[in-house]
Amino acid sequence: MNLAEATDEALVERVKRMAGMAREPFLPAAIDLLSGMSRAILADSETKLVPQYVALAYWMRGAAVKKLAKAFLDTIPDGEILAPRGLAFHLPPTNVDTIFVYSWALSALAGNANVVRLPATLSPQAQSLLRVVSKTLADEQQAERNLFGTYDHGGETEREICRNVDLRIIWGGDAKVEKVSQIPIRPDGLTIGFPDRQSLTLISAAAYCSADDEARDDLAARLFNDAYWFDQMGCSSPRLIVWLGDNPECRDDLYNRLEAVIQQKSYIADPAVGMAKFGLANDFLAEGVAASARRYSNELQVAEVSQPKVALQRTTGGGFFGDAQILSLDEVRNFVSRKVQTITHFGFSHEELISLARSIAGVGGYRIVPVGEALQFGSTWDGVPLLSHMTRRIVVR
Amino acid sequence: MIAELEESLAATPYSLEPEARQRLMLEGLNALTAKHYERCLPYRRIIDGYWRGKTEFEEIGGAPYLPVSIFKTQIMQSVPDTEVRLTLTSSGTTGQAVSRIPLDAETSSIQQRALASSLRHVLGPDRLPMLVIDTDKVFKDPKMMSARGAGVLGLMRYGRTHSFALDASLEPDIKGIRQFLDQLEGRPFFMFGFTFLVWTSFYERLRDKGLDLSAGVLIHSGGWKKMAERAVSNAFFRTAFGDAFGLTKIHNFYGLVEQIGSIFLEGRGGLLYAPNFADVIVRDPRTLEPVPDGSTGLVQLLSLLPHSYPGHSILTEDLGVIERISDGADGWAGKGLRIEGRLPRSDLRGCSDVIAMAA
Repeated sequence: MNLAEATDEALVERVKRMAGMAREPFLPAAIDLLSGMSRAILADSETKLVPQYVALAYWMRGAAVKKLAKAFLDTIPDGEILAPRGLAFHLPPTNVDTIFVYSWALSALAGNANVVRLPATLSPQAQSLLRVVSKTLADEQQAERNLFGTYDHGGETEREICRNVDLRIIWGGDAKVEKVSQIPIRPDGLTIGFPDRQSLTLISAAAYCSADDEARDDLAARLFNDAYWFDQMGCSSPRLIVWLGDNPECRDDLYNRLEAVIQQKSYIADPAVGMAKFGLANDFLAEGVAASARRYSNELQVAEVSQPKVALQRTTGGGFFGDAQILSLDEVRNFVSRKVQTITHFGFSHEELISLARSIAGVGGYRIVPVGEALQFGSTWDGVPLLSHMTRRIVVR
Repeated sequence: MIAELEESLAATPYSLEPEARQRLMLEGLNALTAKHYERCLPYRRIIDGYWRGKTEFEEIGGAPYLPVSIFKTQIMQSVPDTEVRLTLTSSGTTGQAVSRIPLDAETSSIQQRALASSLRHVLGPDRLPMLVIDTDKVFKDPKMMSARGAGVLGLMRYGRTHSFALDASLEPDIKGIRQFLDQLEGRPFFMFGFTFLVWTSFYERLRDKGLDLSAGVLIHSGGWKKMAERAVSNAFFRTAFGDAFGLTKIHNFYGLVEQIGSIFLEGRGGLLYAPNFADVIVRDPRTLEPVPDGSTGLVQLLSLLPHSYPGHSILTEDLGVIERISDGADGWAGKGLRIEGRLPRSDLRGCSDVIAMAA
């Protein structure tokens, strides 16, 4: 089954034809395409109402894309000419319904022709985004070089597509990366895999306690966005909150404010998810992973954990937080592993964060960004500078 | 055995009206909570960490409850390993975690006594000839041995001169059934089977065979999901058996493997009634606060039977509604519960696409 062509055979033929359609990176046409799409998302009556799509549109607006291009081009030495990789093949994750656009957009900017394998079922929300994307591609006459469609995973169609691609980007966890990676792409092709990741938030108790009501409410609102936008199931969604320094009252204060945001935004967790959270809280207590647990509501449960590593590994999504405390930033490396992706922070100086990055560099961690920016896509993702990998270089002497 | 359980078992089954029951249940639950707090470390940690270490409550609604899932993920045990006689496991499809319930000699014997007292309420004091609506292979063939087999064996204890209504391929043995009925010459008998089998292998196959089951008592149990798929409600089930076989003494029952022996039997109005040593609270699925009678919510089951493991207060994932409160004048005292099915599952997808891989 595929959306783009009548049959899988036609899909494969189409992909083969796309092999020669790459163009020079950062052409004005590519920049116009993205900024046009940005405007279309903000103008569409459905997509403009979805905060994550608005964030996507903001990221793709003309000025931002030009800035991104310039910053990258500034890193290219004289005597090296940028070229596209060729045909890129994107396998986005099923849970985060903006990645298929982010992954594609960077690659389109890099001049590649693109095949995007969409999940077999899309939420109505994601369908509205796909509709805007498709229409913009048609309007800008770029549909021939950019194919969004689906087919059944793991079969001959996937094998045939892979045989033709120069760049393959696999999102969606360890098992998927491992399975898809077994299928060969072009001999000189490059595969980038984005495996399972976990994320956490780091808060300075001293900074929080000395913050005023406004700053605290603002932090709670940003934490809400980070955690709840994708039901706390994104790789970057924080599931553990670590406090530097001890102040139980401030901790409770933050969760009460977060609960207020949850109610204000009318976020509702399914009761089955609420039960899963209650179950996990009980498991943590029974096992001695947590010393206490509190159910603020069906949407927010917090377990005060003495084993942050365990709290990172097990989650239910939908508003379950492990809450841990440390006495020194050096302790972070004790529970950070290769699986840890994003550390969102509040109340630390730049110097402290740089020294934190150095201290965890040997064990893991890919992003240290302010609370509120967990889901903000960046062209360096999971430690991979994507534009560098999405292009190749011609050396001229 | 705690004194409160002794007292409830001494009363006429299903006779304790709400007020007397509340008192016994509250004292009994407090006693069991304190006992398990003392003897089961994971339970103590939960009470300390979630319930502020409190083991005594002023009303049963305040008593701590465990999520039913915890019996799948943890070993909840309040007796030393050497005293565990049997570990019950729930049925589960392959790959799914199963509940493990450790029973010592005391709790096993309590459960049997409790179950016997409940069943006597509908079967009478004497053991009756029994027609099992299943195949004897269900417990004779080790390959088929399952929760169903264990259930059949467990119930067979309360009947005598057993006949089996189905053959190994679950086809009705009409000749055997007629033989069983003929030799009874109208004397009362006992039938037991799992609801879906009773419907598909017995009712649907034999409804036009002119069998007279009017002297029988049918006890059946099992999920209603497959029955609901066939649009068979409990009321329809009862009417169908009455019309086809003249069978009117029909009792569905509901219970958890985690509270085995504690069965909610179908009585007046087709509702499920708690035995004297048990009770039910219905809670709002989102707030977990008790809801008024007549409102649907999550079913919390209370039972004074579990002595070797802290299963005396469990929040299930079943939805139910209390439709009636009875003083027991009709033989069914307490809350009349109707089960409305399972809390719908929800799958939040993680950043790992394992599910989509198969799609």
